[in-house]
Amino acid sequence: MKKFLAESELARDERFVRTKIEDRIFDPRGAKVAQRNTGPAKMAVDRPAAAERSRSLMHGIFVGEIQALEGAGRTCYDFTLDDAPFALKLDMARQCWDESRHCEISVKLGDHMGTEIGAYTESTFLFAAACNPDPVLRLCGVNRALEGLAIDVFNSMKEFGDESGDPILEFCEDWMLADEVTHVKMGSDWLRRLTEDDPERRERALEFQRTVDSIFNLGGFRGEDDENPIQLARRFRELAGFTDEENDSLAELARQSTEQAREMAAMATAALDQSGAGT
Amino acid sequence: MTSRVTVTPDPFTLIAYDAAEIGRIAQDAAALAGVAPGVDISIEVDEELFAPLVGHMSDVVEGTVVIWISGANLEDNRRPRHFSAEQARRDLTIALLRAADRLGEGFADAPPDAELTRAERAAWDAFAVGRAARLGMNVKRQAQLYDYRLQHGFSDVADAAFDRLWVADSMTFAGIREICVETGAAERAKASKIPVDLLRQR
Repeated sequence: MKKFLAESELARDERFVRTKIEDRIFDPRGAKVAQRNTGPAKMAVDRPAAAERSRSLMHGIFVGEIQALEGAGRTCYDFTLDDAPFALKLDMARQCWDESRHCEISVKLGDHMGTEIGAYTESTFLFAAACNPDPVLRLCGVNRALEGLAIDVFNSMKEFGDESGDPILEFCEDWMLADEVTHVKMGSDWLRRLTEDDPERRERALEFQRTVDSIFNLGGFRGEDDENPIQLARRFRELAGFTDEENDSLAELARQSTEQAREMAAMATAALDQSGAGT
Repeated sequence: MTSRVTVTPDPFTLIAYDAAEIGRIAQDAAALAGVAPGVDISIEVDEELFAPLVGHMSDVVEGTVVIWISGANLEDNRRPRHFSAEQARRDLTIALLRAADRLGEGFADAPPDAELTRAERAAWDAFAVGRAARLGMNVKRQAQLYDYRLQHGFSDVADAAFDRLWVADSMTFAGIREICVETGAAERAKASKIPVDLLRQR
């Protein structure tokens, strides 16, 4: 079996449609919408298009779970025991089991909301974080950055379930959230153990994590302000082994990302208006 | 005599939608929805909005049916930036079923869409989408139920009212309001300060 599988080689059946994140970034409508008030970013029942936004996000979570499963699975297989100890691979195997369950739960939550597999497109940039050839960097990208994002997303979805009085969503998200805290903790523990005598490698891994985190902030998708749909879940991150400093740093990164997105939207709108489009 | 349909913008500048095609689909949908022949229809597509920012509003202004619809409703979810004739047919039929309701006596006292509560709108949509399903449109009952539950609650009482709305052949706005009282949504709706037509505002 091939080691170090590229993003483009992920196996999917005919229901899945893949898009590139650039397609959305370069969509001229994005800049126009960014200038408008489309309601509170935080998920709520009185937010415009609340149900459709929830369904779309749920589908995004589902494909993210598939990619997390693939990432953890690859870590079990891609590395020798010299690079990745057996106990680490055992943790990744356990994570595969969790992610498989999350995929099934997410499909059922999609059914509950009235959508189905393949109703929306899939972007595989999450898996890209799981392609690093250094197991420590990969663990930081997947288990600390990606699974850290999962903590924030699941906590936001759990709160939405609570606020909307939807017990199915609330409980399912709560259970998955507990698993994600464990996954991040695994990443934090292995980072410490594998780099105990190699501070330079640890710094490289943390730098890679920061890079992945800034991508996952997705121009204001995550943060601590009202304009961020996904809120930084500090308490759960703390339980997963993130320090206050790390949470502060991530919050700052998120603020910068939101500001950059705002500036880019303003520039893109000005360019569109100048070219005559959208008038 | 058929309805005269006007679609704006024409041409579209941000996305490759065709106003003439949308107009033809709307003309068929109007006939299907029972909009009386001769009633003019004005459709404004907001081409800036994309999935999942869906929404549509149906009003009658001085005898003309006025539809506002998000570009997201006409966009193929599986192929972003591409027009979906099937989705357009479905959502314009639903919008025109509600417009036809407004042209009848049962909904003559209904306020404009921008003044409906979310619960009133969700209940009215359930009534419209149920009929669209019987007209052969590819609608998802579970999706509609979820939309409705977000406003009326996840309860047996709310679900029973949804079932009645879904199969109903006739309804009045007073009936919609009774359902909002029955499910408790009439009380909950008062808390929100977010305008229901926010997506329409620029």
